[in-house]
Amino acid sequence: MTSRASLIFLLFFPAVTVAQPLVITAPAAPGGGWDQTARAMQRVLAEIEPGVSVQVDNVPGAAGTIGLARFIQSERGNPGALMVTGLVMASGVILNGSPVSLAGTTPIARLTAEYEVIVVPASSRFRSLGELIDAFKKDPGSVSWGGGSAGGTDDLLVRLLAEQIGLPASSVNYVAFAGGGAALAAVLGGQLSAAVSGYAEFAGQIAAGQLRVLAISSASRMSGIDAPTLRESGIALDLSNWRAIVAPPGLSDAEEEALTARMTKLAASPKWRSTLEQNGWADEFLTGPPLRQFLLAEQARIEDVLRRLSATNSRAPTTLAVTLTPSSLPNAVAMIFLGALALTAFTTTRQSVAFDRQGMRMAVALVTALLALPIAFVTAGFVASSTLLFAIASTTLRARPERSRGAQSLSARTIAIDLFVGAAFSIALFLLFTRGLGVMLPGFF
Amino acid sequence: MGDLLAGFAVALTPANLLWGLAGTTLGTAVGVLPGIGPALTVALLLPVTYNLDPTAALIMFAGIYYGAMYGGSTTSILLNTPGESSTIVTAIDGHQMARNGRAGAALATAAIGSFVAGTLATLALSLTAPLMVKLALAFGSAEYFALMVLAFVMVTTMLGESRLKGWLSLLLGLTLGFVGIDGLSGHARFTFGIAYLLDGIDPVIVAIGLFAIGETLWVASRGPAIDEVLPVRGSLMMTAEEWARSWRPWLRGTAIGFPLGALPAGGAELPTLMSYAIEKRLSRRPEEFGHGAIEAVAGPEAANNASAAGTLVPLLTLGLPTSATAAVLLAAFQQFGLQPGPLLFEHESALVWGVIASLYIGNAMLLVLNLPLVGLWVKLLSIPRPWLYGGILVVASLGAFSVHRSAGDLLLMAAIGIVGFLLRALDAPVAPVMIGLILGPAAEQHVRRALSISQGDWTVFVTHPLSAALLAISVSIALWGVFARRLAPPG
Repeated sequence: MTSRASLIFLLFFPAVTVAQPLVITAPAAPGGGWDQTARAMQRVLAEIEPGVSVQVDNVPGAAGTIGLARFIQSERGNPGALMVTGLVMASGVILNGSPVSLAGTTPIARLTAEYEVIVVPASSRFRSLGELIDAFKKDPGSVSWGGGSAGGTDDLLVRLLAEQIGLPASSVNYVAFAGGGAALAAVLGGQLSAAVSGYAEFAGQIAAGQLRVLAISSASRMSGIDAPTLRESGIALDLSNWRAIVAPPGLSDAEEEALTARMTKLAASPKWRSTLEQNGWADEFLTGPPLRQFLLAEQARIEDVLRRLSATNSRAPTTLAVTLTPSSLPNAVAMIFLGALALTAFTTTRQSVAFDRQGMRMAVALVTALLALPIAFVTAGFVASSTLLFAIASTTLRARPERSRGAQSLSARTIAIDLFVGAAFSIALFLLFTRGLGVMLPGFF
Repeated sequence: MGDLLAGFAVALTPANLLWGLAGTTLGTAVGVLPGIGPALTVALLLPVTYNLDPTAALIMFAGIYYGAMYGGSTTSILLNTPGESSTIVTAIDGHQMARNGRAGAALATAAIGSFVAGTLATLALSLTAPLMVKLALAFGSAEYFALMVLAFVMVTTMLGESRLKGWLSLLLGLTLGFVGIDGLSGHARFTFGIAYLLDGIDPVIVAIGLFAIGETLWVASRGPAIDEVLPVRGSLMMTAEEWARSWRPWLRGTAIGFPLGALPAGGAELPTLMSYAIEKRLSRRPEEFGHGAIEAVAGPEAANNASAAGTLVPLLTLGLPTSATAAVLLAAFQQFGLQPGPLLFEHESALVWGVIASLYIGNAMLLVLNLPLVGLWVKLLSIPRPWLYGGILVVASLGAFSVHRSAGDLLLMAAIGIVGFLLRALDAPVAPVMIGLILGPAAEQHVRRALSISQGDWTVFVTHPLSAALLAISVSIALWGVFARRLAPPG
């Protein structure tokens, strides 16, 4: 009796004994600054919180607003979810008119700040920032700048730079990539004149001598980075790319405090300090009410900057004969698709496809079961819904009269056997995934 | 070569050998079972391998990919139901051989042919990858766009019964690919105000829906007439004559499979079909084709394995997935923070070459797994069909759910499953949907980037020599498709 009781306990309370895993969303492509921050946190947490599984989930694109949308939408109330964010996302939300914003998250801590570098390939004809600026002034369109998402720190820096040297922000030929890491291949391959991104994203290639740093966006020289500041080159501009950690909305005060405590411990650990040093990140740890004030102030500053740049309307291409807008290609493709669909429908209705009625009824039964599955999955849990799905599918396929030679008539007995096999299979999978492999599934109920 | 030797040092560690063995075994199993393919299996394992060493996980995934190519032939030969779309052609003559009491020889020429082709193609991968890496750095947005146009033209011209239906599938994939927030501007497109769609449509969910769910619905609606598993009869040893008739098709199959796999032409269907057509034309006994000609098993089986290695060339060197499985493998790389592309060979040399070296070892493992042990895999086929498809639905929904732990993905999977069923009912190929979905968004980004760099000058696509060459090839293939008789499917 006790062994059965413990078995039932195992089945019903699968998650109780497992330490809750932490999932850090990096809303950018692998190799970018947010990704590096998330992975650095993962490494440090593995040391200071052994036994807790920490995963990094990359959701790239659109200044992180794609990741933000998913984070707010699917992690609400989950104290095991964190997301890396920063200046880029704050501006991206404004520029893109994103339906979700940082205000929808729970700010936990600001961790680092990083300064931007302007780099060219080692083989470039531009030896100094002055030479690049001269070419830029002469023919703004001839210099192509690459970096992260449109409206991000990289884009902002180039447009602010243009204003500083007396060019309209709209004259910048800026090519957006999913992140600094993604722009790397294009600048190394010589397709871009210059690339702009955080120092860490280019550090490997700079050290290897493949990229030359023309300038850094900090107010004063950074130790360990051999590059003049923009101010040294006569441009009165500095810009910092801060990075912070947020939690999903809907957390209790206790959960928020616990996360803040964990981040404080992380920021104080020796391993984190050495990580900062390695990556050239400045330590700008901040939590609680000062953090909220900082975020509000930064939001205001960005809005102001963007209004001045009027960056939303400024990306009008210079000499485009045919303009590609974000919606021109999709609409054209969708139209042609509908045309092809109509044409196919027209040509195939003439050659009627033979379906037997019984078979179609089977397919309809399966489709109905599949469409009901998402609701069953979250309300009844994995085991119950999968058992039912298995039994419905088996019973349906069994009922085909011409299917198998031993055409069995449907009986309560075969249905019971199908249910039993389905339950055994589902329970085995459930135990394998939750206990053996540590993947969370909706519980038994 | 030094890199490859270092790769062997990585692949030959006991732990990595075990992961390789696990991958090849699992791959053979999913290859044998109809409805479950390598794409679904890797997708299912993605959330499980977060904490694994990236090298070990990728060695396992590569083993699954290669293993499925071996296992699919067993089902085709003994059951006449292809385990994978890549072994449809094998079923034609392989099953006839089994009916003629030569099942042993058919399995042997499939397994040995797969081994020969797999090993030669992996060698070709080791030799071409470093060259491609050099070439890849010269690839700008214009070149990437031209390469994708070539993929679209190839996949619609060469797959399936009619070009219209090929285009229909491709356009469906392209349209689905646009759904979500645009990566370059942040505009929401085709989202109809539904927050779930802001994230876009995940190719992994689509692959599961199209292949696992669509297939199950199709079987439910009509089902194969014959589902009798033939026993393995006849010696597994091939006769001298069978060897003599097999070795040339193996080599020709490899020569067809590898380059076509490397080109983005939608997986292994096309190379196997071409291999069959060429063997039939070259054979002195073309009348035997369709009635159990061993060349018709040897050639396509070699071609599908060689194409698997070929697929890895653009995936590893350009970060360009050209099949559903490759798309899931790309997701696997990104899960570990690795971006396939020219820089991967520089930054993660040990990992890349370790995975490539593991493919040589995996091929040897698979020969052993599939020849002496074939009886074990045949037992898998004795699972009653209703339970098999019930199990496939459960595993598919588990896989779809665990990718993002989202119930919305289950609904998407069911919807895509219905679409997959309708496409099959229309007799339209399904592979172009995946190609359009995977490459469409990338192609759009590249065309916009190329125009941005060139300041709106459209001639950039024809003034760059590489891009111009790729576009010229695309146009000639399209014209060839219009004027010449298209490659008639065998039989």
